[in-house]
Amino acid sequence: MALDTSHDTAPDGPTSTAALLAAADDLEGLSEKPKSFGRLAWERFIHHKLALFGLFGLIFIALAFFVGPMFSEFDISTTDVLNRRAGPSRDHWFGTDEIGRDLFVRTARGGRYSMQIGLLTAVLSTVFGTIMGATAAYFGKAVDQIISQAMNLLLVVPALVVLAVFALKFGSTWWRLSLVLAALGWVRISRVVRGVVLSLKEQEFVMAARAAGASHFRIIFRHLLPNVIGVVAVEITLLLGATIVLESTLSFLGLGVKPPETSLGQLVADAKGSIDDDPIRVLTPGIMIVLIVLCVNFLGDGLRDALDPRSKVERG
Amino acid sequence: MSDPLLTVQNLSVGFRAKTGVVQAVTDVSFELRSGEVLAVVGESGSGKSVTALAMMRLHPKSAVITGHVQFDGQDLLALSEEEMRKVRGSDIAMIFQDPMTALNPVFTVGNQIVEAIRIHNDMSTEQAWTRAVELLDLVGVPEPKRRAAQYPHEYSGGMRQRAMIAMAISNDPKLLIADEPTTALDVTVQAQVMEVLHDVQQATGSAIMLITHDLGLVAGSADRVQVMYASRLFETGSIDEIFYESCNPYTRALLDSIPDLEGVKDELHPIPGNPPSLLNPPSGCPFRPRCPMAIDVCREEVPQLQPIANSHASRCHRAHELEPLTTGAAS
Repeated sequence: MALDTSHDTAPDGPTSTAALLAAADDLEGLSEKPKSFGRLAWERFIHHKLALFGLFGLIFIALAFFVGPMFSEFDISTTDVLNRRAGPSRDHWFGTDEIGRDLFVRTARGGRYSMQIGLLTAVLSTVFGTIMGATAAYFGKAVDQIISQAMNLLLVVPALVVLAVFALKFGSTWWRLSLVLAALGWVRISRVVRGVVLSLKEQEFVMAARAAGASHFRIIFRHLLPNVIGVVAVEITLLLGATIVLESTLSFLGLGVKPPETSLGQLVADAKGSIDDDPIRVLTPGIMIVLIVLCVNFLGDGLRDALDPRSKVERG
Repeated sequence: MSDPLLTVQNLSVGFRAKTGVVQAVTDVSFELRSGEVLAVVGESGSGKSVTALAMMRLHPKSAVITGHVQFDGQDLLALSEEEMRKVRGSDIAMIFQDPMTALNPVFTVGNQIVEAIRIHNDMSTEQAWTRAVELLDLVGVPEPKRRAAQYPHEYSGGMRQRAMIAMAISNDPKLLIADEPTTALDVTVQAQVMEVLHDVQQATGSAIMLITHDLGLVAGSADRVQVMYASRLFETGSIDEIFYESCNPYTRALLDSIPDLEGVKDELHPIPGNPPSLLNPPSGCPFRPRCPMAIDVCREEVPQLQPIANSHASRCHRAHELEPLTTGAAS
């Protein structure tokens, strides 16, 4: 009310600062009701078309992999000797291999393993890598030296060779393979987090938190890590994709999960002999790998935008 | 009068650098009583912020500190890190220079005040939230209920500094250290923030240590002034003693360099030269190379802080020769 009168009548009259501030707020369109962080993040997420595509794509693929085989009468090792090297048909949706095993069932099982390995590896590397990176950057000095040198050491080691050795020794089940992959994978996330925290910790809010009596533990976990979530969300999806590809590589080289179990990479490896007369056999698991990785990356992109409180909900 | 709330004795802070020790604070002693507003004035690098940080033990690890900081019956420099953490934010709170970066961008302002409260108090989140809204109201944030649920980037600079003040006073500190609280704000907002600080001081009765390089700001708000130069205390006294009876050439040069809106001054009077290197301070008085009144003894001896009157002291060999200033605009 006071605002309106001062605005219209007396430009030389004293204008109350409160009214001016209120006016400034209205101009910025801030007077709508406040929303919780979760709700805002969700709104930003559902406005991100690619991210939604990624999410539903992943859900669809996962459902197909978990539920699909139930509709098939075949198991991953049952052989249909009359239909060897068959193309896609009603009985065998993706066809069969040279000893008559159903390729849809095998692709689904392989895809499940690939997704499980990718997810577990990404989660393990992220948790460990984030804590290590943040600790190194926050404390600096000797702590940083030790962690950074350990990271450098892991980086110069040819990953594939180490993985091959360890996978041979420990990689008999999917979660052990995942552990080995995570033991190398955390370095990437750790480096990114370290870089972000190095710049974050110089900001005054860290000093302000210390001046308010916050402990190192509280500063790292309550103040620094939430600021890193956006970057980590992207890294985790990139890592998930990379892990699935790496696991496929290992399986392709015969170092992944052991038969009769299979994975997407294993399926590509199995099919490589028949690439000339049956290219579809190579393509189906290959396309699955590409689809999963793509969906995960889209999802990560959307998550980053959604989790940043500074980004606005897309208009229109 | 009662015992002072804060007694700083012979506080020295040095930083180990590759080329030697940088003496950032040299032999600083002062007292602060409850409810008093003390302004610490000086150029950049004169040691005013380092003094405050060292008092709160928030200095970088490379700092070497000697002296005593007696606060409310305990020596802060002798406390363990754990005990010191309990003092920070509850008995002594601090407001920082840049409100743009002093709030965590990923939490709502209300959340951050709640956290500040709950570090030191056993209080439910709901209770703390109610208190946070009250505090925002107290520092003049309009519509505090709605504003508490907003993020720092939705606040303007002045509003953020108000939020910082709300956070700082959330545990009724006995001492509030404001490190250049208005430097990053524009002039009109500066006045509002100073007013809030003043109101808060009236309401809570806490002592304030106001660190600034703006003498104009000091004139309206402080009880006592302390001028620092090149890591040392150069003059200390009541506001009138510093502004009208200054006995120190450096303080006078500072006063002379304030631009005057009404007077006939049509050019600025900067202090010639630069502050000395703290790594290799000049011999004798550190202000000597820039001082218009330097004499031979200034080259040889560092002057001592000489008492002038009851609460007034000046670090100058010729302190007693200086004529009292009549008015600020006399020159």
